[in-house]
Amino acid sequence: MSENTVISFDNVTKTYKLYSSTRKRLLGIFFKKIKYKKKNAVDGMSFTIDRGESVALYGKNGAGKSTVLKMITGVAFPTSGEIKVNGRVSALLELTSGFDMEFTGRQNIYLKGHILGLKDSEIAQLEEAIIDFSELNDYIDQPVRTYSSGMRARLGFAINVNIRPEILIVDEALSVGDAAFRNKCQKKVDEIIHKDNVTLLFVTHQIAVAESFCKRGIVMKDGKIVYDGPIQEASKLYREIFNAK
Amino acid sequence: MNKIKNFFMSYIDAIAVNIREHRDNMPQIFKLSIADLKKTYTGAALGWAWAVIKPIVTIFVYWFAIAIGLRQNSAVEGVPYILWLICGIVPWFFMGEAITGGTECIRRYSYLVTKMKYPVTTIPTFNNLSKLVVHAIISAVVIIIFWFAGYPPSIYLLQLPLYMLMMFMLMNAWSLFAGLVSAMSKDFANLVKSLNIAVFWLSGILWNIENVKDNELIYSILMLNPVTFICYGYRNCFIYETWFFDQPKRCLYFLFWYALMALMSMWAYKKLRKEIPDVL
Repeated sequence: MSENTVISFDNVTKTYKLYSSTRKRLLGIFFKKIKYKKKNAVDGMSFTIDRGESVALYGKNGAGKSTVLKMITGVAFPTSGEIKVNGRVSALLELTSGFDMEFTGRQNIYLKGHILGLKDSEIAQLEEAIIDFSELNDYIDQPVRTYSSGMRARLGFAINVNIRPEILIVDEALSVGDAAFRNKCQKKVDEIIHKDNVTLLFVTHQIAVAESFCKRGIVMKDGKIVYDGPIQEASKLYREIFNAK
Repeated sequence: MNKIKNFFMSYIDAIAVNIREHRDNMPQIFKLSIADLKKTYTGAALGWAWAVIKPIVTIFVYWFAIAIGLRQNSAVEGVPYILWLICGIVPWFFMGEAITGGTECIRRYSYLVTKMKYPVTTIPTFNNLSKLVVHAIISAVVIIIFWFAGYPPSIYLLQLPLYMLMMFMLMNAWSLFAGLVSAMSKDFANLVKSLNIAVFWLSGILWNIENVKDNELIYSILMLNPVTFICYGYRNCFIYETWFFDQPKRCLYFLFWYALMALMSMWAYKKLRKEIPDVL
């Protein structure tokens, strides 16, 4: 792995075990005999991404994009193969979750910071910018369970882009909120990838947005890479796959 | 030969991961246990008072049922029944909650598993740590109660932190095992809930196990129970004035249980860690 590589996948396969019921799954822990179906969500993928690159990940639902992102984040683990990730990952996966519902927005900012290993003083410095960006104003001291999904998404986005990530993973996140907020998010992502040399991995179905951010595109189908190269070519291929269904 | 070696190495690896995750995440563990406390006790009007009201009500109900209802109010080994009861039930409040709460902890904190990269072995730890804080406060209240009742603190009280630590360690090992297994399936949590009641009635919390001493088999089986060991350990500090090292056999039993629980938790960790994010 060269010094500049931040993400590398080497022949990575992720197999999900599908049991026919939860009872069988429980028994499957203790007995090897219990049968289950295997489903390869990611099947022998290899690629590398360098520092500062912006890569779009295309694929239909079920192609394995989310699994790839989860493995990069370190949330899910590959069944075989090797993954190396070099840098602080900030993932905008399912923005509306990942909060402690009983806590206020502000407490959640601190909780997220603590989990990432930031000190109170460091979080305090970012706090203002996060609240500002989220446009939650007075709601910030209300419990997150009272928030609408749009508000949660705004807060999630604000936290993740403001904690100075080195690798930013965006999963459909830029489609949150109204048009004005969407624009603001896109501008922010644009700003951090250009100014701070952040590596971006971007999953979307909106080809126009992907092309505005990314120079490289990876197209996935059934857990495999079918194309990896310049974004225009990738978009073209993706359109073909999508229309062919 | 190699197979056996690999088998042992895999356990040593799991233990090393466990220790490393705890060492590297100390601040997070403390912060999250404080957060857990806040979550439990804020949001209700009486807030922190519940930490005291709940045990008082429970103790009163058991005392009433047994001392008044069943007329079993005779002193236990020279100590009023109510004091003897308090000594055993206070550690049980912690253990009972850790047995069921520990089983649910990973499911309850699923966002730490499925939405971000977080060391899973520390989830049971901070979960139990927050309960230990409440337990320590109640224990201080118990010391005061005993003082007022004419039993001022003795030198034997010095071993109380040790018993507390043993209890905490045992429950941590259990919670990691149970939390991981129940993350795979909810059935396990239901099983534990029903077993919890059995453990409570068989652990010498409400009644003195010395009463069945004439039946040696039943007596020694009941004494094997680690929950009994802790409850009687607390009584050693307050009532019996006995050192733990004067009961080496009981300590050995306890160590056996701890080793077993720790092994089970490591087994579960090795087997389930990578699967849990996929099913939660």
